[in-house]
Amino acid sequence: MDEIQRVPILAVQNLSRRFPGVLALDNVSFDILAGEVHALVGENGAGKSTLIGILAGVYQPSAGQVLLDQKPALFPDPLSSQRAGISVIFQEFSLLPHLSVAENVFISREPRRGLTVDWATMNRQTQEILRTLNVEIDPATLVSELAVGQQQLVEIARALSAKTRIIVMDEPTAALNEREAVRLLEIVRSLAAGGVSVLYVSHRLEEVFSIADRITVLRDGRHIVTEGRSAITEQRVVSAMVGRELVHSTRPSRTAGAIVLETKDVTVDGGLVRNVSFSLRRGEVLGLAGLMGSGCSELMEGLYGLREITAGSFLIEDRPVRIANPRSAILTGVGLVPEDRKRQSVFPDLSVAHNLTIGNLPRWFRAFPGLLDLAGERRKTLDYKRQLNIRFTRPEQRISGLSGGNQQKVILARALAGNCRLLLLAEPTRGIDVGAKAEIYALIDRLVQKGIAVILQTSELPELIRLADRCIVFVAGEPRGELCGAEITQEAVMSLATGLSHRVTVDSASLRSIQ
Amino acid sequence: MNARKPRRHRVASSQVGLMLLMVAGVFAVLSPRFLTPGNLLNVCTSASVVAIVGLGMTLAIASGNFDLSVGSTAAFAGCVTVSLVQQIGVALAILAGLATGAAVGLINGLIVTELGVPAFIATLGMLTIVRGAALIYTGGRDIYLYGQTQYKILSSGLTPVLLALALAFVLWFVLQHTRFGRHILATGSNAMSARRVGVRTSLVLLGVFSIVGATAALSGLILSAQVLTGNGRLATGLELSAIAVVVLGGTPLTGGQASIAGTLQGSVLVAVINNGLNLLNVSIFYQNVTLGLLLLGTIALEALRTDRRRTKQLTTR
Repeated sequence: MDEIQRVPILAVQNLSRRFPGVLALDNVSFDILAGEVHALVGENGAGKSTLIGILAGVYQPSAGQVLLDQKPALFPDPLSSQRAGISVIFQEFSLLPHLSVAENVFISREPRRGLTVDWATMNRQTQEILRTLNVEIDPATLVSELAVGQQQLVEIARALSAKTRIIVMDEPTAALNEREAVRLLEIVRSLAAGGVSVLYVSHRLEEVFSIADRITVLRDGRHIVTEGRSAITEQRVVSAMVGRELVHSTRPSRTAGAIVLETKDVTVDGGLVRNVSFSLRRGEVLGLAGLMGSGCSELMEGLYGLREITAGSFLIEDRPVRIANPRSAILTGVGLVPEDRKRQSVFPDLSVAHNLTIGNLPRWFRAFPGLLDLAGERRKTLDYKRQLNIRFTRPEQRISGLSGGNQQKVILARALAGNCRLLLLAEPTRGIDVGAKAEIYALIDRLVQKGIAVILQTSELPELIRLADRCIVFVAGEPRGELCGAEITQEAVMSLATGLSHRVTVDSASLRSIQ
Repeated sequence: MNARKPRRHRVASSQVGLMLLMVAGVFAVLSPRFLTPGNLLNVCTSASVVAIVGLGMTLAIASGNFDLSVGSTAAFAGCVTVSLVQQIGVALAILAGLATGAAVGLINGLIVTELGVPAFIATLGMLTIVRGAALIYTGGRDIYLYGQTQYKILSSGLTPVLLALALAFVLWFVLQHTRFGRHILATGSNAMSARRVGVRTSLVLLGVFSIVGATAALSGLILSAQVLTGNGRLATGLELSAIAVVVLGGTPLTGGQASIAGTLQGSVLVAVINNGLNLLNVSIFYQNVTLGLLLLGTIALEALRTDRRRTKQLTTR
């Protein structure tokens, strides 16, 4: 890095922002250099969104200032921030779906000829910008026809067309699939190489470590540390984020008991997943891993009766069972924590208690299953609150007010309340803070120790290694190999999953591509 | 923020209650006839007719659906009952009418759950089908009941009010204290999650639509008992007032929540306004405009409030 690049293009100094009852930002100072990818990390509530809001002109600082080119700058509204050369790409895109790519890129800045829009120029210039991003999208395509990843590229193109010098990206890969995410990281690197500064806000540490020049950690609205990537370890970033050293970073030794589940040559949905045979014991965690489309999710859905098991046999505690739908799964003692919390598990309008008990409602009288025991429900909810350390104020509170981690604990409690012997966990910590993640791991450990058998499907290799005693790797719908205990390493899983027998280098990008 | 759900309902329903008091106060001042016992009974009766079908509609909306065919169902059930009173007696004829309504509801439910037609389209289709069926059944003529004072009981005195209150209690109990009620709310809040926790959402919806059909029928029976006539054109537009009172009462159209008390208050509010405007000799056309404005105003207020709450959430992040 030469001297010119060392000049901060944007700096925040002693920035504070107070909302009624909360100090969302507390005396935060750091700077962003020209052509730098600067990662901003922190748990939910750390103040990232507020900081982004100030840079975007949505909020005004209560104290402190923003320096642009070392001169104080004020952004009373979003437009002035954009005029100053800052583009913020929020998680929820601001594209207009029924307009074309070019129209979106040039919205409110359309090149004109006389009174009319100069379509030819607009399309040509859009094409040029897209080409610098190495993207093949026809500028005349409607945005609604694009995949999420492509839409994000259109957002970036719009930022570039506005001669942006600083792009702020809020959790840019949250909605992307693996390939799109890898692509995005490449583009971020090339943007930085071209002199644009990027403030990359994320809690995906692998990504952050693969892309950032420097990393800034916020916690509880305060600035904790800003360090060059090579000068800080992932462990230190994590403890800066959560404010303590996270314990339990390794899998405890476990003793497995009697066999709970045995499958022989199971086929799901006429061949989506084939020839699956395994057995699972009490007190054991079996991991399922594979690239996207390898069949792990489909197998999980088959085990829970959401997909048809078209061939093979299925024994639970030595008795053959047929699981035709989720109801029969629950009745045979199988519990599920679904992959997509928002779409598949949470009831946003219902209370914490109602969310917790919905799978197994407490009866008032044994004889009348239709009548509910509301006092019992409340008691049960408070029981689980204590057991799982779920943070909420009252059982009647709506679940949508809880953090992602606490919502997930409620969902876990729901599965447990069904007295399951076999617990299926699909992406149990997706979108959850590191702190809550560690708690959920500890929780899973405790459940397993009590004798529950767990099948874990996860796309995060560290999670797999941390939790699974054994792991089956799937390729294209078939089990490719099984790894045990210490054999489960990122390299071993990756080489099985990608079909390479030789050792592969696992960089963070391909890490994400593990299903 | 913790008590969001209850608070929102309290705000919404107390808002309706407040509006109700204000409107009633204004009419009491403007028209000396408003507060007479006879007139108040009129108000209560017409409030009850809308409330009964509105209560059914509350369940439908809580389950994430709604039913546009209730007006036609009310008319059809009324015709069936009136036509049967002479042959099989009042009690059985009433049961037959209610069963007709439940059957229409069941068909609505089957179209939604088995054919996968969205409730809006399914019940819009049934709106015209059932209206047609009612007219075919009566041959387009009115069926008169002469001297059937027994049937008249259904609409006279406090019967409609007591029926509405009893139904409100039963449905409140169902929602609060039964598994079925919990499953209705779960289905309305997130059907995909509901299936994953073992809720048979199709059965739940069949139950809900049948109940809505039966409540529509009961409203229709009261209307037909008022005039002792079976008329295929009865209760036109009832579906809109039913949805309006639910929404005025604070039950959001998005499903997963229900306010039984709100629906009752909404029904009384609408009845008071119509009655008051009648007393003041305002034409029915203006009454329609008033009802529409009231509905729009309430929804707009609710939207504003939600919006403000959302901004507040953003800022406290």
